[in-house]
Amino acid sequence: MTTLDIHHVRVTHRGTPLVEVSDLSLEAGRAFTIVGESGSGKSLLAHAVMGTLAAGLAVEGAMSLDGRRIDLADPGNRRALWGRELALLPQEPASALDPTMRVGAQVAEGMLEQTPRRERLALAEAALAGVGLAGRGRDYPHTLSGGMAQRVTYAAATIGGARVLLLDEPSKGLDRRAVDQLGDLLDRHLADGGLLLTITHDLRLASRLGGTVAVMREAAIIESGPVDRVLGDPQADYTRRLVGADPARWDRPWQRAGVVPERSAPPLVVATDVGKSYGDAVVLDAVSLEVGAGERVALVGPSGSGKTTLGNALLRLVPVDRGTVTHAAELSGGRVQKLYQDPALSFPAHVPLGAGIGDVARRHGVDPGRVDELLVAMGLAPELMQRRPGQVSGGELQRIAVVRAMLPAPALVFADEATSRLDLLTQELTVDCLMTELAARDCALLMITHDEALAEAVADRRIALGKAGSREKTAVPS
Amino acid sequence: MGLVSAVSGNRLPGVLVRRAAQGVGVALVVSALCFVVVRALPGDAAYRIAAGRYGYDLVDAAAADAVRAELGLDRPAWQQYAEWVLALFRLDLGESLVTSRPVVDELGLYLVGTLQLSVLALALAALIGGGLGVVAARRPDGAVDRLVTGWIAAVRALPPFLLGLLLVLLLSIQLGWLPAVGHEGAASIVLPALTLGIGLSGLFARVTRDAVVEVRRSDYVRFAATKGLSGRVVLLRHVLRNTGVVLVPYLGVQAVTLVEGVVVVESLFAWPGLGHALVHAVFWRDVPVLQASALVLALLVVALNTLVDVTVLWLDPRPRGRRAVA
Repeated sequence: MTTLDIHHVRVTHRGTPLVEVSDLSLEAGRAFTIVGESGSGKSLLAHAVMGTLAAGLAVEGAMSLDGRRIDLADPGNRRALWGRELALLPQEPASALDPTMRVGAQVAEGMLEQTPRRERLALAEAALAGVGLAGRGRDYPHTLSGGMAQRVTYAAATIGGARVLLLDEPSKGLDRRAVDQLGDLLDRHLADGGLLLTITHDLRLASRLGGTVAVMREAAIIESGPVDRVLGDPQADYTRRLVGADPARWDRPWQRAGVVPERSAPPLVVATDVGKSYGDAVVLDAVSLEVGAGERVALVGPSGSGKTTLGNALLRLVPVDRGTVTHAAELSGGRVQKLYQDPALSFPAHVPLGAGIGDVARRHGVDPGRVDELLVAMGLAPELMQRRPGQVSGGELQRIAVVRAMLPAPALVFADEATSRLDLLTQELTVDCLMTELAARDCALLMITHDEALAEAVADRRIALGKAGSREKTAVPS
Repeated sequence: MGLVSAVSGNRLPGVLVRRAAQGVGVALVVSALCFVVVRALPGDAAYRIAAGRYGYDLVDAAAADAVRAELGLDRPAWQQYAEWVLALFRLDLGESLVTSRPVVDELGLYLVGTLQLSVLALALAALIGGGLGVVAARRPDGAVDRLVTGWIAAVRALPPFLLGLLLVLLLSIQLGWLPAVGHEGAASIVLPALTLGIGLSGLFARVTRDAVVEVRRSDYVRFAATKGLSGRVVLLRHVLRNTGVVLVPYLGVQAVTLVEGVVVVESLFAWPGLGHALVHAVFWRDVPVLQASALVLALLVVALNTLVDVTVLWLDPRPRGRRAVA
């Protein structure tokens, strides 16, 4: 029976401790999951075990794999174990695949040195079939959805036969269905006697995997035990807050469960019979819908159903092939704003945040005092404005994006998976800040999410997109 | 074959049609410009042509008039240009005004010379620049990286004629390894090619270094390492091709610099190529040769860019030209 014991791990950056964990043990067949907010050190712990920490971080501690003692301070000593005994399923599966190489070859690489080419490719095909991607070996990564890309990385990471599998935020940016499919693969890995260490902020994934869960905060594990006990009956105050951050449990003044105010104003956006194709792929097929002033609409549906394309078409960011999209006069002059899934992509990397925000404020004639007011309302320190986008956390950056979006006094905000990369507590804070602002100015919201509970908590109505990119049904006031 | 190869197969004709159209446009613009510029040059063209034919000592006003009448140089410029373009459609580039031989014959020789020189120069630039870039990227901001940055600044700062003279001083006069000028034997190409190649290698090294640093930082290179691949295998299988995706389009941008360098370096080393022909044609006001060599040089730039496009299609399967709205 394989076991992995980790003793006294300490990761420091210039003397500041980032991880301080005394002991944890992984057993074959039993999942071990670490949950907690971003910046709590949970990813660093996984990379310390794998030996993939960034240079500049010092590690102390040791682990024993099947009784073999491995010093964690020397990252080089695990290189020989990579792919054979230790495997890491990376964050962002889409960017973990080489865009210029067919996925079959990338999976086959995991056994490059042991096996001749022909046999290797056959094994890779078999591995892809095992993750539900039979016959896709000659595809390039850009033709795969996020969930498919992740199953490819799973096949590539495990083909070398590694028993210890580490996962770093595997559910980031994936829809529910893709996370469930990943869960099935991980169950199989455990059933085959594998060891599993998962780092996630997704409590539902943690519950699904079962086994042991540890809650990490400020570099340390504050609570751990069987997953049902820890998440069902949390002892630590922080764990209670974490569990309570599930959108299904929210209770906020801006929420208006089912009570949608009657309006006589004409709609802000009217889309009639909108169609859009990319090459031969039909993304939208004869979609018609309206967004009224002050309304909160959620677009839901599986990945690849055209949610983002529809949202961008409604904002007139992408031209449509057929049909029309008309905007009411009050949307002109920058009064439609968009929040992106990855806020880092919506800020220039080398410009201090304050300079960019200041430009928007000047362009729209906003009093500089208003910027500070908004920053305070979002719980952001004004000092953050001197930093660059890479020097603040993802949650902070998304709230800065909210501040920026609020400056032109928008009548419609489009939030495209704006919180799907944030942990639950940060998501709660960000959504709360956004919705408080929107409610105060009766601004309409168009949101895309794959999180049913979030759509339920925020939106007045949901529009479900089907697989073919056509509108399935409209759930009137949810 | 899967969907993707069908897609890249479909993209190829588009690229070729676009580049062919560009070739036609460039041909017309470049030849028209040459025409205008030659007419605007000071001095009497007929006199210069006559001097080119008979030598300065034997030229007088009568000889110049005879040349003028023979070549129809007093007709309106647009007539002469239209005539030239019409002839071009018949692939007739006319005859040299000086030697009276068909331009096509002379140009064939020059084209081969220029192609030999450019291919060797580009290969040297890729080898020196690419090699230095990869080495510098191993440790960004390390000692080697700084040395390479120094090299880049130095070769960028040196104009080709100065660099050429320095190389002549060093390799032919001091060390006596290579002939300084001319076109005798394989060794005579080394100096001009080295001059061009070293000049181009600076920016090559810069772009390679930045591309390699970025690719090495990418998630897919890290993932490839944790799959258990050795550093060398990761470099060969992932880093080099993805660096190529950045570097190869850059070759197309460099094509213009290359042509510029070809003109200077060929003249400096008396290498019989298009640049050399161009300079002489300007000097003797040999308009047909001038037009034709400028045209071929311009088309060479288009051809190189076409080659770059096709290579990138082969290297990188992702569709381009579609603006992503994240």
